[in-house]
Amino acid sequence: MSDNKPLITLRRTLLQSAGTGFGYLALAGLLGDTALKANAAEANAINPLGPKQPNFQPRAKRIIYLFMEGAMSNVDTFEYKPQLQKGDGKPGPGGGTLNASKFQFKQYGESGSWFSELMPNIATHADELCWLRGLHTDTPAHPQAVVQLHTGAANAALTRPSMGAWLLYGLGTENQDLPGYITINPPSNFGGAVNYGSAFLPAYYQGTAISDQGFMPNVHAASPDALQREQLDLIQSMNRHLSATSGAPDAVDGIIRSYELGFRMEGKIAGLLDTSKEPQKVLDSYGIKPGPEGSFARQCLMARRLSEAGVRFVEIRQPGWDHHSNLHKGLIDQCSMIDRPTAALLSDLGERGLLDDTLVLFGSEFGRLPMGQGVDGRDHNITGYSMFLAGAGVKKGLNYGGTDEIGMKAVDGRMHINDLHATLLALMGLDHTQLTYRYAGRNFRLTDVAGVVQKGVFA
Amino acid sequence: MRYHSSFHGLVTALLIMTLALPPVYGATPPEIQPAATATKPAPAPSGLWSYRPVKRPDVPVVQQKAWVRTSIDAFILAQLEAKGIKPSADADRATFIRRATLDVWGMIPTPEAVQSFVADRSPEAYEKLVDRLLASPHYGERQARRWLDLARYADSTGFENDATRPDMWRYRDYVIKAFNDDKPYDQFIKQQLAGDELDTGNQEGLIATGFLAGYPDNHNSRDLIQRRYQIVTDMTDTVGAVFLAQTVACARCHNHKFDKISEKEYFQLQAFFANTNEVNKIPVKDLGLQELEYRKAQAKWEDATKDIRAQQKAIVDAIREQGTKYYHERYLSDSRASIFKPEDQWTPLDRWVQHRVDNVTTEDSVAEYLEVAGADRKSKEYNLADVQRLEDYKKLYGELAKYDSLKPTKGSDTVTAITELGHPDAPPTFLLFGGNHERPMEEVQPGFPAAIANGEEPVIVPTAASSGRRTALANWIASPKNPLTARVYVNRVWSQYFSRGIVRTVSNFGKAGELPANPELLDYLADTFVQQGWSIKKLHREILLSSVYRQSSDERADVRRADPENKLLAVFPRERLDAEEIRDSFLVAAGKLDETVGGPSVFPPVPQGLNAGGFWKVSKDPKDFNRRSLYIFTRRSVAYPLLETFDMSSPQQVHSQRNVTTTPLQALTLYNDDQVLGWAQDLAGRVIREAGANESAQLDRLYQILFARNPDKLEKTTLLSFLDSHEKSIWDENGAGKLEVALPVGLKRNPTANPLREAAFVDLVHAVANSNDFVYRF
Repeated sequence: MSDNKPLITLRRTLLQSAGTGFGYLALAGLLGDTALKANAAEANAINPLGPKQPNFQPRAKRIIYLFMEGAMSNVDTFEYKPQLQKGDGKPGPGGGTLNASKFQFKQYGESGSWFSELMPNIATHADELCWLRGLHTDTPAHPQAVVQLHTGAANAALTRPSMGAWLLYGLGTENQDLPGYITINPPSNFGGAVNYGSAFLPAYYQGTAISDQGFMPNVHAASPDALQREQLDLIQSMNRHLSATSGAPDAVDGIIRSYELGFRMEGKIAGLLDTSKEPQKVLDSYGIKPGPEGSFARQCLMARRLSEAGVRFVEIRQPGWDHHSNLHKGLIDQCSMIDRPTAALLSDLGERGLLDDTLVLFGSEFGRLPMGQGVDGRDHNITGYSMFLAGAGVKKGLNYGGTDEIGMKAVDGRMHINDLHATLLALMGLDHTQLTYRYAGRNFRLTDVAGVVQKGVFA
Repeated sequence: MRYHSSFHGLVTALLIMTLALPPVYGATPPEIQPAATATKPAPAPSGLWSYRPVKRPDVPVVQQKAWVRTSIDAFILAQLEAKGIKPSADADRATFIRRATLDVWGMIPTPEAVQSFVADRSPEAYEKLVDRLLASPHYGERQARRWLDLARYADSTGFENDATRPDMWRYRDYVIKAFNDDKPYDQFIKQQLAGDELDTGNQEGLIATGFLAGYPDNHNSRDLIQRRYQIVTDMTDTVGAVFLAQTVACARCHNHKFDKISEKEYFQLQAFFANTNEVNKIPVKDLGLQELEYRKAQAKWEDATKDIRAQQKAIVDAIREQGTKYYHERYLSDSRASIFKPEDQWTPLDRWVQHRVDNVTTEDSVAEYLEVAGADRKSKEYNLADVQRLEDYKKLYGELAKYDSLKPTKGSDTVTAITELGHPDAPPTFLLFGGNHERPMEEVQPGFPAAIANGEEPVIVPTAASSGRRTALANWIASPKNPLTARVYVNRVWSQYFSRGIVRTVSNFGKAGELPANPELLDYLADTFVQQGWSIKKLHREILLSSVYRQSSDERADVRRADPENKLLAVFPRERLDAEEIRDSFLVAAGKLDETVGGPSVFPPVPQGLNAGGFWKVSKDPKDFNRRSLYIFTRRSVAYPLLETFDMSSPQQVHSQRNVTTTPLQALTLYNDDQVLGWAQDLAGRVIREAGANESAQLDRLYQILFARNPDKLEKTTLLSFLDSHEKSIWDENGAGKLEVALPVGLKRNPTANPLREAAFVDLVHAVANSNDFVYRF
């Protein structure tokens, strides 16, 4: 560097000569993902989010979780209980009066699974779903239960990392141009960011929050690409200038990389979240529309696009299931918002072959009682409720476990949240007892000291 | 009970490791052992190193005597000489002042301060600088931020409703003031643990208990017995980690797996907090401007809503008895047992429950009854009069909400504290089987973990108004004889300057923690700290004036080889600025920083689309946008995005050390965030104002402000050529004539100025501020 040639030229010189090191990094920025893959091993040396080896052969590569926040009533939707229907008005166990569902149920597919008239579209997928019908959890209050569903612990004095963060920690990300863990429309209450946080895991494992309009902070370039690229080249040249000195921080390489990734993400993620260019046929199948009514449909479509691009864990959310009152009309409204998009998502994933390596999870933090509450409502039920899995690695058309004859208590195939987490990790190729992180003097894991993998659901 | 195998494998491995290791602590390498001490009989080592009393070591004799500016240097140098490594040369003065200002104040120095220090040829130049830095209120702000990380400080309760705690900032201000006044550390401990018992009649003592009162809480909890257990658990675990660096929390469900702390001893520790209660709405004694302004605003709202609230009250009065009963019945059964007991039969536990229910019950919670009695035909409470009441109440509720904008958005005229409600008798504490509060076993009394206490027993003197338990605990922790307290704190301070502690695991001085890298230095610092009356400023001063702190951070190949992790500190460790330093330094560079110290927490802007609902209402007063990051409202459920991206602390529990992560979101924030772009515009304007029209002078000024140096020739050439090419690119981009560009802010409009060139300059400033030179301290 004896002459006074500007540093920007210096960068180009490096690009021509170097196959590794900084020149390679910048080159990757220009060439996209391909060059990066060729050097994945090198990337991992600096990138803790690079793909990692699972403990054993995974059955699924990524998860989409459809979170029904507020506790959907199972006995009105997916859980047909003849004894409850017959027992309407009779005293329920532990007080209250049994309240039969007002909705008509029908059996679908070869599996003969029951669906109420509220879910006609999801019902067409009856033979693809793997029902977990024996779930139970610890606390009947939303905030604790939501946090437990996401982090494994309801009332821990210490906040725990969320399941998506554990997955990233264990598996890294598939697509280095995108965040590996995205949560769309997360709750601001019920623990808020704790539900997609990394707690004591390093911060890069946390979920990236996006609004149901596809908004992500600061992802839109503040100036046109060409101008920002020039700025970025200047930043990178300064950083490289620094990295060539003995005073360079060790992390400069990583920072140079992060700027390039940020720049790549700008183009890529903004494009992925923009669903407007999907064919009209696809938009119609999901029922895409603006406003709160179309929120879940938009989220389903964004989830498909993100998953397809290799995002390891995507969560989407439909709130509003807490029907202590207004159960009848409330369920009609709610189900009309989620039934069609959920079914469309399953079809879309299937048609694209994505269900072969993508696992879908659907459900709430707990269920609702078979007894009535007030004129037209149901209170919380933590002793028995259901969720479904679909896609990679799980049996199709299976009804795993079940509640008693009125849908009150899980009696068979019982699964605690810890068991659910252990099972999800196992499907992703991770042993929940091995996925540990040392913090504050001991090893922590998603399943704490519990969790049994329910192998019965494996395909 | 099930434990997973890897956990137990680890225990075994650690035990084996511990057994295999020679007793390191106290064993000074022979080559630097002065002859005089070699003949002394070695103390019989017993127990864990950190539980043995602090022993003042002799200052080692070293060869390179000229390098020793303070005794600290002799301890560092002895280890270096034993390894044959030379320390690094002094950093240049500009680097030093930038480093020290960032470390002591948490922000970059002004170019004037740099210039004057560089030019100061007096022999006391460094002393003058260090004393000036330590005398500034910014010192207390910076230290407070470190302490608040430990105190899991927040302005809200956390959990689902994440209620605002309107008084917590008083505790934050107490901490700032304590550091600025150089309050002796032992006093600082005592006030935070037992200020209510010790400083009766003194509001400072009450405010200091905010340390304990800052626990995460759930006002909606219906299981108060469990909630109380979680609160005292939080206090116990926090105190154990912060002051003693002990992972006592591990011993709650079973005996500690690594350390000699039994489950019984855990609950004995918890018993010190058994009689604590959160007391709100204690009127502030000495009203200041803040309180008066708050009252004025509050009175405005009260005035405007007087009628509405009176009507609401009339409705609630009509159903108060039924409503309160209905509300109380919704608590879980063991809570209800306390709630419905007549006052003359109250046990101390009942008293706690009653107080808690009072704290969280509002008029609205009583009115919840109407949702049943006025709406649910099937319920036994249903009656027609309440149908009308419910309708009226809802209407009034809506009416009242219209006046919300009149409410003061920040501040308070009250204090929140931990007290014992004027009762010396505490609820009993039990050893709980498996840590389950529904499975009490034997009752336990307050006690210290035997392995640490070295025979000391708590001396508990109840007063008429309090159990005296926390005073006893505080006296033990703040005693010069406590083997952990001083060691733990000097180690925390050391880690602020050198990126890691002498004991790397700053909050774990137990067996699973790391051994001290320089045990003599640790004990020298701990002993000196106590000898100097627990003066925190003197501790900082000695470190800041040491040669080890003054070293260059330039990498050296010989050190890389001999000490790859730089444990011996032959090179000063570089470090990325922490979240608050980045934001505060941007504010300083932009010339925007509002230097007001203390006051209610503020809400600066957040990126558009942040899903924070009503939890983040941006401050009305734009002055609030430019306050130091320490004053930004800490909402447990909504981390302030700009800071969160750069690894700010989590307020959910004790946060011992900041992470340093490198993520693309950080890059995106720095180059796309509106606020950062705004600061770049301000900075560009400032540079042009201060340097004039000459571009070369502008670049010098920009570098002086951001990096405390001038650009070298190569850098300047690069920057000037960027301006040329970028100006042209902006022109090209503007082909359609619709491009919006950012211009420098704070300049008188110069009609001859070229807006393209000015826009290019803003982009240049923005890019330069994005570079590693800025976000690192060297």
